[in-house]
Amino acid sequence: MKRFLSILLTAILLMAFAAPALAEETVALKIATWTSNEDQLKLLGSFVDEFAQAKGIKIDATFESIDFAEYNTKLLLELQSTTPPDLYWVLETAAPAFIASGNLAVLNDAMAAYNPEDIAETALALWKNGEDVCAIPFSTSPFVLLYNADLFAQAGAKTPDELIAEGNWTWESFREICKQIKDKTGVWALQTVDGQGYDARILHNLLPIVRAFGGDAWDENYEVSIDSPESVAAVQLFHDMVYVDGSVVPPGDESSFFTGAAAMTMSQISRVSNLDEVEWKWSMTTLPGNVPVIGQAALGAFSRGKNVELASELVAYMTSESCVARMAGIWPPARYSVLESEAFLTSNSRIDPEQMKNAVAASIATGRVLPSHQLYPQIEVEAKMAYDKLWKADADVAAILSEVAGIYRKYLK
Amino acid sequence: MKKSAAARRNARREALAGYGFVLPQLVGFCLLVLLPLINVFIYSFHNKNMLFGTNIYVGFDNFANLFGNDPLFWLTLKNTLVFSVLLVPLNLVLALLLALYLGEGRPGTRYIRTVIFLPVVTSGVAWAIVWKYLLQGGTAGPINWFLSLLGVQGPNWLLEKGWAMAAVVVNRVLKNLGTNVLIFFGAVMNMPQDVIEAARMDGAGSFTLLRKIKLPLLMPTILMVAIVTMIGSMRVFDTIRLMTDGGPEGSTMVLVYYIYHQAFKMFNTGYASAIAVVLFVIVLVLTIAQWTLRKRVSHYEG
Repeated sequence: MKRFLSILLTAILLMAFAAPALAEETVALKIATWTSNEDQLKLLGSFVDEFAQAKGIKIDATFESIDFAEYNTKLLLELQSTTPPDLYWVLETAAPAFIASGNLAVLNDAMAAYNPEDIAETALALWKNGEDVCAIPFSTSPFVLLYNADLFAQAGAKTPDELIAEGNWTWESFREICKQIKDKTGVWALQTVDGQGYDARILHNLLPIVRAFGGDAWDENYEVSIDSPESVAAVQLFHDMVYVDGSVVPPGDESSFFTGAAAMTMSQISRVSNLDEVEWKWSMTTLPGNVPVIGQAALGAFSRGKNVELASELVAYMTSESCVARMAGIWPPARYSVLESEAFLTSNSRIDPEQMKNAVAASIATGRVLPSHQLYPQIEVEAKMAYDKLWKADADVAAILSEVAGIYRKYLK
Repeated sequence: MKKSAAARRNARREALAGYGFVLPQLVGFCLLVLLPLINVFIYSFHNKNMLFGTNIYVGFDNFANLFGNDPLFWLTLKNTLVFSVLLVPLNLVLALLLALYLGEGRPGTRYIRTVIFLPVVTSGVAWAIVWKYLLQGGTAGPINWFLSLLGVQGPNWLLEKGWAMAAVVVNRVLKNLGTNVLIFFGAVMNMPQDVIEAARMDGAGSFTLLRKIKLPLLMPTILMVAIVTMIGSMRVFDTIRLMTDGGPEGSTMVLVYYIYHQAFKMFNTGYASAIAVVLFVIVLVLTIAQWTLRKRVSHYEG
């Protein structure tokens, strides 16, 4: 009995001591992203710390990096789990499905402090359900061209910037310099976006060309035009580059621009940090054709999370002018105040202000986001089987695109 | 005679210990295998979508859709059968020949055994990624580079219809060959030597010996291995996921991978469960068929 009492007493005392520690509120928040870059995660982490300090609470934030190709799948599995992320990044192609599913909290109240004039209405359109804002874009990033200037010099080819100055920066002239580089140096001229341009990022790869030719996958009214003569001509051009000229890193080959095995790649400025270690001179410019395509990503709060209100406020804070300005060098914003500032042009130390202005800021002003739809996951899987047929030397591009168009129409009608 | 109280207590204690040992496995099995399995059957009668959180009872609608208007299902079913039909015989013949060779105890046996068994203990993911690198198209991949030295232009292995399936099948055979060789090797070593000796004395050549004596002796093992390999081949996932992603043109999309696509890419959990039920029935039927066959073919069992 005595022993029992002493144990009980100790327990009570321990609890009494522990109580003050518990009283200081620590909220655990989980944030899902598809970046695993440490500097980027550190920057995001610092926003959370600032927010917590301003609120006078403690936030224990965990960042969860999910692989891009598996992002939607794994995110959704996590949302079903007992420890779902409170905040998560949403990809533009998945936006309609995620909004319709009700997995995103409405952010209207949390956004009360925003100056509505500052955010481009077109940039927000994708993320709204009627009047309700369901996620806020933190990245409105145009696809740009990164190139290895040393290889251009070696091939004696005109650089993209020279061609722009001549007013001759088209996909046709691009094709010519690609062939010249491959023939003269033996190095691949172009790697597709992250080397995934034949599968996971097929639209990222083809749409800049297709739209420059006047085609599209589908438009805002779900009118499909991937089988239009313009789209066919565009895809044919890319196909010829791969199979006639042999200048593009072909499907099934893992040669990478970032290791010097290709002279150019279509990319976004968040990838530029991969070039820190390279020993050759690189540069960045707009894609040919001057019809910028934008990849968008937004941050949202999980509607059934434990701390929805706090998470929503954090979303608003992390996409506030102050935070957006600091992220701008990695993820260009949709905020006029930041885009138009001098600070934006110098926000990425790796990129000179002139490039930032021409390739990024100007493209955001005129660019269009990638197409999306509520049934995008289905469309993607089925369309891929048709797109796969393109990657043969004797592929009938028009017939294959008409098959793709059939699949698109089946779901979009 | 009545058992003494002590003996009965002992028996009970022993039984209790036995159950105790089985319990962790049993609980795990019930929670992680049986319960999900039952759920799959229930889900298959529902329109269940993970993204939208819907869960509506629809009777046999999923199955009607599956058989009635899902060309992808028929394609993946065909792919699965092609995969198994190519893989099982290749695996069995190679494994049997190797086991018979190893059974003769010729020089280099230990070395060969290690080499064959190494892939089995290698991580499936690492194995597939390395092979994807080796099988790159053009002359970028080491295999095609080697072929080019012989004056042969290798195909784009994983991106050409036909070659992709062949590459995946050979890859799986190499990965899992070791296990079957080991089982066959055990059976070969257990063959009654006196029977073989007697046949040899009667003047049987090595081919007759193999056909009339050794194969019939090994038949029960061959059938058992065939069943296990067949079921294993129906469950192939990691190799496909990592090497071809079901492509090109869905030519390596097998049933399990289609289930994955429906459940985790399109989030149609109910529909995916219906496909899983179909796969379950196929495996069940094949297993029963093979067991029946086994009883008829193997005279030496028991």
